[in-house]
Amino acid sequence: MTLPPILRRWEALLLLMLVVIAGLNIVYSPFYLGVGNIVNLFQLSIEKIIVALMMTLIIINGEIDLSVASVMGLSSCVTAYTFHAGWPMGWALTAGLASGAVAGAINGFWIAYVGLPSLAVTLAGLIGYRGVARILVEDRAYGGFPEWFNQLGQQPLLGPLTFSIIIFLAMFVFMAVVLHRSAAGRLVYVMGNNVQAARYSGVRVKRVKLLLFVASGVVAALAGLLYSARLGSVRGDMAVGFELDVITIVLLGGVSIFGGSGNLLGVGLSILVILNLRNGMGLADITGNTQTSVIGALLILSVLVPNMARGLHSKLQGRET
Amino acid sequence: MTPATGQLRPIDTAAVPPVLEMRGIAKRFGATQALEDVSLTLRPGEIHALLGENGAGKSTLIKIMTGVYQPDRGEIRLAGKPVTVGSAAEGQIHGIAAIYQEPLLFPDLNVAENIFVSHQNRGAVTNWRQMFREAESILASLGVALDVRSPARGLTLAAQQSVEIAKAISLNVRVLIMDEPTASLSAHEVAQLFRLVRDLRSKGVAILFVSHRMEEVFQIADTVTVFRDGRLISTRPAAEVTPQKAIADMVGREMGLFQRRAAAKKGEKLLAVRGLARAGVFEGVSFDVHRGEVLGFAGLIGAGRTDVGLALFGIEPATSGTIELNGAAHVIRSPRQAMALGIAYVSEDRRQLGLSLPMSISANISLPVLARYLSRLGLIRTGEERATAEAFRKRLSIRTPNVDLAVGKLSGGNQQKVMLSKWLNTRPALLILDEPTRGIDVGAKAEVHAMIGELAAEGIGIILISSDLPEVLAMSDRVLVMREGRQMAILDGDSATSQTVMTAAMGQEMAA
Amino acid sequence: MRWLQRHIRPEQIREFSLLLLIVAAVLIFGSMIDGYYTSRTFNRIASSVAIITVVAVGQTLVVLTRNIDLAVGSIVGCTAYFTGAQLAAHHGLPPVVAVLIAMALGCAMGAINGALVAYGRVPSIIVTLGSLAIYRGILIDYSGARTVTTDSLPKWLIDLPRLNFITIGDLDIRAMFALAVGIVVLFQIGTSFLNVARRFYAMGSNPDAAELIGMPTRQIVFSAFVLSGTLSGLAGFMFLARFGNITVEAARGMELQVVAAVVVGGVNIFGGSGTVFGAMLGAIMIAILEQSLFRLQISEFWRDAILGLLILMAVASDAVILNRLRAIWSRTELKLVTRPGTGAAP
Repeated sequence: MTLPPILRRWEALLLLMLVVIAGLNIVYSPFYLGVGNIVNLFQLSIEKIIVALMMTLIIINGEIDLSVASVMGLSSCVTAYTFHAGWPMGWALTAGLASGAVAGAINGFWIAYVGLPSLAVTLAGLIGYRGVARILVEDRAYGGFPEWFNQLGQQPLLGPLTFSIIIFLAMFVFMAVVLHRSAAGRLVYVMGNNVQAARYSGVRVKRVKLLLFVASGVVAALAGLLYSARLGSVRGDMAVGFELDVITIVLLGGVSIFGGSGNLLGVGLSILVILNLRNGMGLADITGNTQTSVIGALLILSVLVPNMARGLHSKLQGRET
Repeated sequence: MTPATGQLRPIDTAAVPPVLEMRGIAKRFGATQALEDVSLTLRPGEIHALLGENGAGKSTLIKIMTGVYQPDRGEIRLAGKPVTVGSAAEGQIHGIAAIYQEPLLFPDLNVAENIFVSHQNRGAVTNWRQMFREAESILASLGVALDVRSPARGLTLAAQQSVEIAKAISLNVRVLIMDEPTASLSAHEVAQLFRLVRDLRSKGVAILFVSHRMEEVFQIADTVTVFRDGRLISTRPAAEVTPQKAIADMVGREMGLFQRRAAAKKGEKLLAVRGLARAGVFEGVSFDVHRGEVLGFAGLIGAGRTDVGLALFGIEPATSGTIELNGAAHVIRSPRQAMALGIAYVSEDRRQLGLSLPMSISANISLPVLARYLSRLGLIRTGEERATAEAFRKRLSIRTPNVDLAVGKLSGGNQQKVMLSKWLNTRPALLILDEPTRGIDVGAKAEVHAMIGELAAEGIGIILISSDLPEVLAMSDRVLVMREGRQMAILDGDSATSQTVMTAAMGQEMAA
Repeated sequence: MRWLQRHIRPEQIREFSLLLLIVAAVLIFGSMIDGYYTSRTFNRIASSVAIITVVAVGQTLVVLTRNIDLAVGSIVGCTAYFTGAQLAAHHGLPPVVAVLIAMALGCAMGAINGALVAYGRVPSIIVTLGSLAIYRGILIDYSGARTVTTDSLPKWLIDLPRLNFITIGDLDIRAMFALAVGIVVLFQIGTSFLNVARRFYAMGSNPDAAELIGMPTRQIVFSAFVLSGTLSGLAGFMFLARFGNITVEAARGMELQVVAAVVVGGVNIFGGSGTVFGAMLGAIMIAILEQSLFRLQISEFWRDAILGLLILMAVASDAVILNRLRAIWSRTELKLVTRPGTGAAP
């Protein structure tokens, strides 16, 4: 009844799922293994998976950031608004990123320094930042960005890889190093496990928390700009509801909603599982909404199944004694 | 300390038929035999004290009595009839209730509702007027004035415990279990609690009283039972036992005082504190610590000793007074600043405040000085981190297969050693130890004591906060005694005896 | 002052100040908008309040137990569409049966959430995040992305939103608004006086203690989700009646408005405290903002920004002001006094 420790790990289960899904895809679709399909697979959800990397750190830290999708919208709208007000594109993009930093800093201030629950603060952010975005662009759609900007979002840059994919890959490596090898990553875990022990060890917990939310804002802003580059236009309601997909990716990756545990390997695998699942279902002519349902079910099962297995396990143990 | 004079002595309990009998109870968790063949009898109107070191099986027995655990073997008889207590709720139906160290109240419900919340048959509808009235009359009968309409949130621990007692009374309990109810109470509050307990005794309730404070046990108990390693060692009338005898039963041998630490050579003055205060918590604390000196902090729990430690370490900064380190004045505002000044504080609560339990031993040891383990790229040099942990593992003989193990998997004593390593790793000049031996076994205790001696000999100044009086007396060069937020006395080696320290701690000013 | 402190609690002061804020908002908007104080304005706000309030009552129960139900928007959408489709197909369906269909469907959906949270031990945010997607996905598949249209519905349903319950002077109180108020009153009384319902507070206030004294904690959590689902089902029926045209996108994102109403209304996001009445005040505050900003024509786009600010203010004032009030209350009153012998209670 006991499994070897390596197989009990969540990452092993994800890997197994990935192999099965990819295997089915290969068997059923001749197009699956093409470079074009694989690039496309990433490209279609690239903004969400970039944000998911940063969300991993936030959730391991024991918090949550519901406002990421609204910050994506905000940064796009700020950039579009300032660009159409006559700013050079470079400055407009900087303004967009800065708006993300400000939004993150506002979240972080209330959470770290006033001690409000992140669930409530970022819910306010989710609604409020979207509101600011809508004030800026109202119900218009802004397009007409410089050609290089649109190409950045749509054309391959390095071999078959687009700029967004390169950013994602670089960020994945960077985040993995930060989270698992650097002092900052260590503090993220320590605080997620026991914030009081961290404080008693001289960790500047408020500052770390603030910086994490600022970083989350900046990454979301960046993802928003990449999204507008890919779409070629900006609207007030862009990226609405993305936060659910992002959080789903992170939690499916084995990161505990209560903080303190999880790793980027799991999240990386979870990204691959979800992308391949969507791709596979897409190739099998299953609609986007059914895909969303399946991923929702996967999210629940990812916690339910280990829970039930543990319950069963302890019941069996109890009977032995 | 005056014994309870003028109190009603209980009726001759041996003549009364027992209310609760536990016969041959055994309970096993995995590889540990938590209880083995335990038989215990409680009689109405009896205060029955339960003594034993941590892990002796007291809590397991309590949980079996209240229905939280089921025994593997053995029988529970209530008023002569065998019963099974399947859950805490069933325990309550049988008239068995427990009060824990941390009262289990509902902070958002008001006092009256907290008193009546666990009544099984209180009908479908709450009659608030009637409930307030009944709650008021119960509290009044206890001589406690509390607003029954206010939420339990914000009540002092003592007030919360009187609510728990009121709850027990409203349930007409026959057996009341009190698990270390005095651990966080001030002396005044303890006296008040004991008055309530004696009141219950005179009403014919059987009380099982668990405490680590020997003097309290002998002040209030009629019968004393000692546990060791899951077995019941002795049950005797309190009048026939002395604290020494009880301790001997607890540890399995006659135990004298701890080996007195040989005083190290006192170096130059390290720390000078004058008139330190934190508004509303403590005030007027002045003392010096020299290099190589151990300054003991004695006093009852809640006397403000930990708060002085927290002020020195910058967690809860002082609001007035001066702190001089090596002759230079500092205003300490954060733990980081305190650490930079060479101060380390080993917290009393290693699980909540001290360690990150799911993380590895080496990660815990390096945490306060993580910057020391960074490469030029800002990455952690894990090899070096592990080497440090290995060194401490040898030096403090931490028993673990390897230093990558999660701290939470270690025993209490070894966790304590990891915490000590963590702070020694900051290479402190001043080490504040807050209850460094609480809840660890005798062997580990001796090791920690030896370590304190070594550190002092190396020239570290040590502040030892401990509620274990023999420990303070044996380890300290001088003893500072606090009571209710005030410094009562500083006693020198020779003048510090259990008598003088307790006198000061209980409230008589003495010349320093 | 002492009398005041004994009979009024900080939580009630909070609800009272929200009430004042609502009055202030009405006065301010009234001075800015011509013809604001009319029956029409009232009905606009009331019909928007009614639906959100019914869902918020259920959400309050869930939040009290330290959980959250993010699936309510999807449940409202599903029940509205499904009930609409049934009524379009069977015009003869009695109104009572239609309402029961909606509530039963909501109840079943809530029960699934509740079972997963209470018995499967999956954190509610994960369960309802998942079922939010699943229920919406099922709706889209079931409907084949078709729309229930107003003209396919029976006449009684289309007339329902304009049905008056009572008319006071110029003010028409619509039946749907009266229903929502009735539900609030019912649940407010229930959660104040029914011992079964007091368990929601106990459970959220201290789950360990609740478990220890033998409260059926799993049942409590389960029933909170079932009630939330059932009330969302009822709200789905009201949604159908109000809008008539039901697309697969119906009520998408409503969970945010509902959680916002509950938080603004002073229900602690960490459980244990808050009232159904407060949640209704929160819903009213939000609806006033929404409708009035629309009328003001500065820009309806300001609505979300202001709502976000309102939530932040509500949570911040809870943390800062409410805690200070509580401290004042406990300082002056909660002293433990020892008295010799037995004295009369204060």
